[in-house]
Amino acid sequence: MSAAGEAQSLLRTASRATGWTGLGLVAVAVFLADFLARAPAGATGIGRMLEAPSEAHLFGTDLLGRDVLSETLHGLSETAIHAFVGAMIAILVGSLFGAVAGRFPRPLAAVLRSLFGVFASVPALFLTILAIGLTARFYAPIMAGLAAAPLAFVRAFDRVDTGSTHAEYAKATGIAATTLLRRDLTYEFRGNFAAAAARALAAVAIILSTASFLGFGAEPPARDLGLMIAAAKTSYLAAWWTAAFPALALLVLVLCARLAAGLEEGERP
Amino acid sequence: MLEFAARQAVRLAVGLVGAVLVAALISAIAEPHAHGLSPYLTAAARRLLSFARLDFGRSAITGLPAFGEIARRAPSTLLTVAAGGCVALAVGLPLGLLFSIEAIRRAASPLMQIVTALPVFCAGLALAYGAFRLLHWPVSVNTPVNGPLAPDQAFRFAALPVLTVGLAGAAAVQLALRRAASQSSGESFRVGLRRLGLGAFEIERAYVVPQVIAGLVSSAGEIVLALLSATVVAEWVFHLPGAADLFVKSVALNDWNMTAIVLFLFAALAFVADFFGRVAGFVLANEASG
Amino acid sequence: MSDILEISELGVVRAGLPVLERFSLRLESGESVVVLGETGSGKEALLRVVGGFCDKSDVVTGTIRFGEAEARPAARRGRPPIRIAYLPNPLSRPLAPHATVLSQLGRVVARKMGSPLGSAREELRLALERLPGGVTPALLDAKPGKLDAVSQAIALLAATSAQTPDLVLADHAMADLGPSAIAMLLAALAEEKKRLGFALLYVTGGLQPPARLGGRVVVLRAGRIIEEGDARRLIGGHAHAYTRMLFKAMPRLTLDRPKRSSARGQPLLQVHGLSFQPGTSSRDGITFELRRGASLALVGEEGSGRHAFLRAVLGFDHPPSGRVVFDAVDINILSQAMAARIRRRIAFIIGTDDSLDPRMTLWDTVEEPLRAHLNLSRDLRAGYRESALTRVGLASHQGSRPVGTLTAFEKRRLQVARAIVGAPLLAVIDEPLKGLDAFARTIMREVLTDFRLAQGPAFLVVTSDLSVAQALADDAMVFKDGKLVERGAIVDILKQPQDPATRALIEAVSLPDLSQSPAAV
Repeated sequence: MSAAGEAQSLLRTASRATGWTGLGLVAVAVFLADFLARAPAGATGIGRMLEAPSEAHLFGTDLLGRDVLSETLHGLSETAIHAFVGAMIAILVGSLFGAVAGRFPRPLAAVLRSLFGVFASVPALFLTILAIGLTARFYAPIMAGLAAAPLAFVRAFDRVDTGSTHAEYAKATGIAATTLLRRDLTYEFRGNFAAAAARALAAVAIILSTASFLGFGAEPPARDLGLMIAAAKTSYLAAWWTAAFPALALLVLVLCARLAAGLEEGERP
Repeated sequence: MLEFAARQAVRLAVGLVGAVLVAALISAIAEPHAHGLSPYLTAAARRLLSFARLDFGRSAITGLPAFGEIARRAPSTLLTVAAGGCVALAVGLPLGLLFSIEAIRRAASPLMQIVTALPVFCAGLALAYGAFRLLHWPVSVNTPVNGPLAPDQAFRFAALPVLTVGLAGAAAVQLALRRAASQSSGESFRVGLRRLGLGAFEIERAYVVPQVIAGLVSSAGEIVLALLSATVVAEWVFHLPGAADLFVKSVALNDWNMTAIVLFLFAALAFVADFFGRVAGFVLANEASG
Repeated sequence: MSDILEISELGVVRAGLPVLERFSLRLESGESVVVLGETGSGKEALLRVVGGFCDKSDVVTGTIRFGEAEARPAARRGRPPIRIAYLPNPLSRPLAPHATVLSQLGRVVARKMGSPLGSAREELRLALERLPGGVTPALLDAKPGKLDAVSQAIALLAATSAQTPDLVLADHAMADLGPSAIAMLLAALAEEKKRLGFALLYVTGGLQPPARLGGRVVVLRAGRIIEEGDARRLIGGHAHAYTRMLFKAMPRLTLDRPKRSSARGQPLLQVHGLSFQPGTSSRDGITFELRRGASLALVGEEGSGRHAFLRAVLGFDHPPSGRVVFDAVDINILSQAMAARIRRRIAFIIGTDDSLDPRMTLWDTVEEPLRAHLNLSRDLRAGYRESALTRVGLASHQGSRPVGTLTAFEKRRLQVARAIVGAPLLAVIDEPLKGLDAFARTIMREVLTDFRLAQGPAFLVVTSDLSVAQALADDAMVFKDGKLVERGAIVDILKQPQDPATRALIEAVSLPDLSQSPAAV
């Protein structure tokens, strides 16, 4: 490998490692949120309203006198858990089903590919908002996962090279379609599962938080970073900390997931 | 070329038909007697026929014809998307060219990763804050803009959403450009033609740049998708009365007929952009100078 | 004759490792030198330095002198005072896929000659007229993907001679183009060299160029010159042990009957009236039988129909007419599940890289047939796997390595290991030596012969090289233009070839007796 190639490979490995480490820290923060936070979720009047960051309140207080650090930790916890649930649905319905569907008989596979392709061409945010509107905000994580699934399906499906020469020769030597499918799933998930999961996490986290910001995700009194930022909209021009720290927490979650997935700069998760 | 265009046309047709079917299914929810599978499907079929007659029904909220509502709101959205697209190209093209140089990309990668990971609504709010604090611009994040405005005021109110959409699109543009460039950089013909005696600049100009541009144009669908997603958020953040804002409000208020029409509009935009992008990219790729 | 090139004590280091050491060479105007070596011998580094295409990471020492100019450090790039033309292999895809061959080569000639594009194209046209193969500018007005490799090779040769060079650097220029094409192109190259008087530095891992071009041969191994001398002497066996081993892979036809035991047992593959061209009936079809343990070669150039015939025999394509019976069962009337059970007894060894799944690991590739078809314990599977890998010389390789990271030689042997564990009744071997250098070809031939001797499968060999056919099979069917033109025992075909196509194939691998010809071409 050339020196440039080695540097590139090193950078990729370092990025991934950073991403997974960050996600690990987020997981720790999620599990220890109640312990790390100074106040329970939604506890008002802890301090004065809209107090700037200080020793007493590291991230300041919001319009209702809530400690922004505590609220951010609770919000991160809830957002991360919901995003994880949605990501698992995206993996199951998208990546796994896509890899399996790649080995279906051609006509059926073509129909599925077209169907999922149509949905993948619509912004996942639109689909999420629509699905939540048709059901209920309670189902937001599931709907976000389902909305992220078509793109995951298309990617996994396209990775299954049904017309590949090696698949043709394998069939010519009596290797059954089920064995080829097992081969696809083994290597798809051995090589790609962790990356696919991180990618789905990034996608669902963005979709969910945006949906919450627009009023379709979590409902108060649930804590959610998107919801927090939406609530801070009226005050953040005067008190930047009310929106900045939740936004930073959201950025950390999404950034770590993107790095762990090995996504390039600007690549759609 | 014709074969390729025909294949893409079939793809477009399938996409549009799919979008119409989905729109009919969503619109049918609004039918008062559509309870149960059979009545619902009947209602959906009726809606489909109405669409075929260009009858898009009425808004459940205002009672006004849906087409009229869309016609009133869509131009603002399309203008935002178009202006955002121009910003996306203006920012994304130089960035993409810069980042195709590996050393620069490696140096800028951490910052780019952070910037592109930021959700659009956070970016919009951050831009509004910067404009408010540093430039002392009036911003519309908390109240909608009403009444006629002086040109410079109108520019300031329009600039932030356009910039928000444009920067989201720029991320997609620079990625598409970079991908097309890196695809060409791995090709054996660059080494082969160099060894045969052509100059590096000559190879880039005659054989690489057309392919890179073709690759970028082929990604028009992806770029338009990014712009549309960002527009929904930008209209909400900056209180712009566009079609995307109408979509969000229609879903919130269960105006399914309006929701269906707006969704179809956006899907059609994405499919058509994808179609023209792929065909144009194919033509450019095959018309490379000899 | 004056010196056109002088290299003194050339050394190339890459990533801290020496790839070429203390290489010296003098080449006179009109002379040819073949630099022969396996992959990693340093010949590529030599080409990079002489051609002026060194990587930034190469550390180059030594001096180089072109023509009458002063010797300069080899590391210093600069425009050489002589005209150097580079002749690549079309299979290395040196041309842009989205522009026509004619336009690209016209531009190359125009650039090198400093002439307008129109004159360059005219020079190209004249050069094409002088070459065999009937390639015209109109034919070249197509993209590389639409043109066969031999036509592209002729076009590249024409572009080279149109530049009226002083020195030609041939970079494995004719490798893997098929013996007939190689013979034709090397003869054309020799003709052009005689006509234009250029010096030729031919870098190769194959044996046809030194055998056909003659002249001087420099043998490289691990970056050092092992031997240097006249081609006649080296081919004649008066050479270093390594050189002798390299030349063992040279195609040699023999008229001796093979000492293999004759085919025994029931017919394994019976083909009745199989036609593989559309619009033909079973009357025009082919009928033959292959017994257990027997061997048959399907011989012909690219496009002769041998692959279409093979695909029809194995059921990949549905033939217009005919019947194929494998192990007493008509495969085509079976259900997919039953046909799959029969197909387990067939193995493939293919001369392209894409017959193996690049995602799979080395061990998984070998174990898959065992896992899929037999219910063996993990230890037993491991035992069979190790035995197979040892037989092909891959036992020391890391088992978790993905196939995609292996070299062509390693993948080829891996295919044999996978075949070994499958214990097939029939092994289909398609151009098994394609893309391998001389050393690898020798080893691969031995591996296949060992496989056949040890397990005794029937061999169905597909090749354009009669010497490979003879090494691996006893009987042959010769194809040309979609038709079967000759068949029989290979020895009988060699003794009395009936068809011109057969004679051409024999000629393609019958190397000139250099002891009878002048020393240098």
